[in-house]
Amino acid sequence: MIRAWLVFALAVLAMKAQAHHAPNSFVRLDFRAHEVRAQLMVPVSELTFAMHATPTQQALPAYLLKHVGAVTPQGAAWTVTVTAVRPTTYLDQPYLVASVVLAPPAEASVRDFTFTTDAVTHEVRNHVVVIVAERDYADAALGDAPKILGALQYPGRELAIRLSPAAPR
Amino acid sequence: MKNSLAFRCWSLALLLCTGAAQATPTACENPGGGELEPVLAAVARLHSALTAPQLALLERPLTRENATRWSNLPVGVVPRAGLRLGDLDEKQAAAARAVFETALSPCGLKMLDDVRHADDFLIPLDARPIGWDGRNYYLSVLGQPSAHKPWMLQLGGHHLAYNFTFNARKPGATPLFFGTEPIRFELQGVSYEPLKVQSTSMRNLAVAIAGYSQAKLSGTFTDVVKGVEVTPVPGQLPKGGTDTGFPQTYPAGTNDRGVPYSALNPAEQALVRTALRSYASLPGAAVSQPLLAAYESSDALRETYVGYAGATDLGEKGSYVRIDGPRIWMEFVVQPAVAKPSENHYHALWRDKQSDYGGEVGH
Repeated sequence: MIRAWLVFALAVLAMKAQAHHAPNSFVRLDFRAHEVRAQLMVPVSELTFAMHATPTQQALPAYLLKHVGAVTPQGAAWTVTVTAVRPTTYLDQPYLVASVVLAPPAEASVRDFTFTTDAVTHEVRNHVVVIVAERDYADAALGDAPKILGALQYPGRELAIRLSPAAPR
Repeated sequence: MKNSLAFRCWSLALLLCTGAAQATPTACENPGGGELEPVLAAVARLHSALTAPQLALLERPLTRENATRWSNLPVGVVPRAGLRLGDLDEKQAAAARAVFETALSPCGLKMLDDVRHADDFLIPLDARPIGWDGRNYYLSVLGQPSAHKPWMLQLGGHHLAYNFTFNARKPGATPLFFGTEPIRFELQGVSYEPLKVQSTSMRNLAVAIAGYSQAKLSGTFTDVVKGVEVTPVPGQLPKGGTDTGFPQTYPAGTNDRGVPYSALNPAEQALVRTALRSYASLPGAAVSQPLLAAYESSDALRETYVGYAGATDLGEKGSYVRIDGPRIWMEFVVQPAVAKPSENHYHALWRDKQSDYGGEVGH
């Protein structure tokens, strides 16, 4: 029932999508035991300004590797890998969704780091990247209530993430 | 700092020759309005004209959630709270009108009327529908109207958000958003151009400062920078669309903020003051004059910058002009039109870095 309502509501809003505010980006983080997986949903319209070209699925990984990262509190860089890119549509507007794996250096915590991104925001001054914790292997309840961790707008490009330590398993 | 003196002289000469500068209006130099006692009296008369259910819509607590609930999106996308103007009978509408007349300057009242007419113009184009309709504007009184305690008058809809805070710790004329689509139109035989005063002032300013290399702001602008935030949530309805980003952070230092006011010649400086007054003259004078005095103090102007991006004639989407001082933050941006994407439409925003919501809304 809820799902049917949601599909209906989204269909209605899709019809309304042209009443758009300039679309923002959305980053969903999934905290695993040894890495963080991220889904970056970026609007094609704004990405076009940032890449100075029509963005493609093929070109996006190289762009994101320059504009997305993570570092430990001591400043050591994490490894960033773009594993997939797919197109999607949200409220009639095209987006690209990138699957990204963020892996910390050996011995570094996956729950205490600084997420960095200036994707799109390095160029589009009104653009906002909203970052959300969507899943956490140590917090089963999060899946039911994703938590907004913060939002980045130029010139901001760093978001400190300090999750409580995972309980021993 | 300067590209060429000759270019700037040419720019100003062009303004004078084309008549653009002389078109800069001064109609609201002495706007009047905004005095607390007449506003309170008008609000009391409106109160007595409404039914209990209507009063429940109009009068709500002064909280952060209620105060920040304004938007620049149509009401079908971001529903507003408050008393819908389109639902008032003749007597109630007259009482509401009296509130507007006491709280707003004549220019601010005309802005309200013209922006609502623009939404009326869009009604036949609103096939989806998303609520383009001049009747979809809402009035709220947040907090208990008082001669001494803080309370807010909030009036807005698709392309307008007036947020006036009375008896506040600081003068409360902002956030103040206004915009229009179409830019100009004819409705029932009358021609309208709701933002003519402000677009002319900002265009004159952009043309005048274009000769200063420092004036050109980096980056691309697809909307105002410090406006409402909309968060796309995959598989769900978008969230936000209101002023959830308050309090905002603002650029600091001297880099990429535009050319300093102090570097401009007297004629160019006058264009800055004309532009900022074109925004600041929308609320009643009693509301905005303290802010205007603060913005135009010599100390403030010494720390004020003006910048632009895109086309200085504001003829292309992405064109952008900004006044950025110790307190003042005024933006003007040209976006693609929604009803007719081949055309453009305007968004404009005035914030005060110290006294949005009169300083009465918790950070």
